[in-house]
Amino acid sequence: MKEADIERIVEQLSGKGEAFPLATEDSPEEENRLKQLEAIARMMREEPAPEPPANLGDCIMSRLRTRRPSPWKVLSEALLKPHEVSFHPLNALRSPISGQECSFYFIMVGAFYAILGMILMVGLHKLGESLVTLGWVRWQPQIALATALCMVAMGLYLLNDGRLALRIARIGALIYLGFAFLNGIIVPLEWDIPVSAFVSMLSSLVGVPTGFFLFRAIQNCGKRYA
Amino acid sequence: MKQIDEREIIGRVLGGETEAFGVLVDLYKGPVFRLAFRMTGSAQDADDLTQESFLRAYQSLRRFKVGKRFFPWLYTVSLNVIRNHLRKANTLLEEAAGQKTPRATDSRDDPAEAAMARERGMKLQGYLLKLPVPVREALVLRFYESMSFEDIARVTEDTLSSAKMKVYRGLEKTRRMMEADGFTASD
Repeated sequence: MKEADIERIVEQLSGKGEAFPLATEDSPEEENRLKQLEAIARMMREEPAPEPPANLGDCIMSRLRTRRPSPWKVLSEALLKPHEVSFHPLNALRSPISGQECSFYFIMVGAFYAILGMILMVGLHKLGESLVTLGWVRWQPQIALATALCMVAMGLYLLNDGRLALRIARIGALIYLGFAFLNGIIVPLEWDIPVSAFVSMLSSLVGVPTGFFLFRAIQNCGKRYA
Repeated sequence: MKQIDEREIIGRVLGGETEAFGVLVDLYKGPVFRLAFRMTGSAQDADDLTQESFLRAYQSLRRFKVGKRFFPWLYTVSLNVIRNHLRKANTLLEEAAGQKTPRATDSRDDPAEAAMARERGMKLQGYLLKLPVPVREALVLRFYESMSFEDIARVTEDTLSSAKMKVYRGLEKTRRMMEADGFTASD
């Protein structure tokens, strides 16, 4: 039997299409077969529906309430769930901002230093034994990574949006600002090659404005408590 | 109207209001239970699978595309749960057929007629359970749940033509089994 015929028969069985018998099928056996199919379809349609147990809904809801998602599920939800965090650096310098926004800025700075630390680590490693003589410069990757860690930790703490978190973050931002400034001065004193100028520039030209920005963001975040 | 309400309910559930999911459970527990029962032939399994289906739907509600109809999506989730169960279960489903049939509301006044209809229903369920799972799905959705072929194709992730072919094949196989048993559709 052709596919088109089958589709037509099925539609007939479903109450659509032409009425029985099919114009193309003349044989009484075929007509009888189709009538049997129709009867089976009707039996199925007329079959009374079984009722679900009365407490089924309650069982489902109680399982939902006591459900404990797997750690992976929690992690993926935390990462994929949309958070209300806006990115307005100019607003951060002027108007009051939320603790979440402030936290976001700290975490972003942390991410920047994490990447910088890794780049410095790979870059300085390639300098090999000459690194032993370098003193303060050889600690730059570790300093960058430690800064990243502190920034992320402060950022996460700021998510609490509390006064204590703000106070700690303010102190942290001040230390960072001072350290970035000092680092920019110490590095070129220790190492008299072009790389030192690069590290110094990074530290002062990026570190100082960033420190100032973070400090202002915290001040503006604190305005909400004033 | 229903769609607008569902969208609002889904929004509330996604916003963390777990209890709002109860509205969807109340609305669809019957159809999902019936689907599971027709597919497995066991009321106990249907009960478990309905619970599992709703839990799975709740967990993956974030993947539901707002604006689409919730019901076909829930059916797809339920069918996946049922298919997994059937794949795992090595028990002979035919044996279960009719043994744990839940009570259905039968409007027939004549008790003899009602008993005959019950017997016929049990036999039909037995034939249904002997069919391959994809064919069974198509028959259940089409004739027991009165779904359109378009919805069946969507739910089973099939083409329209393939959904129709499965329905036809299911009916034809059922007819042959009935013929072999000497049981006619008009009995």
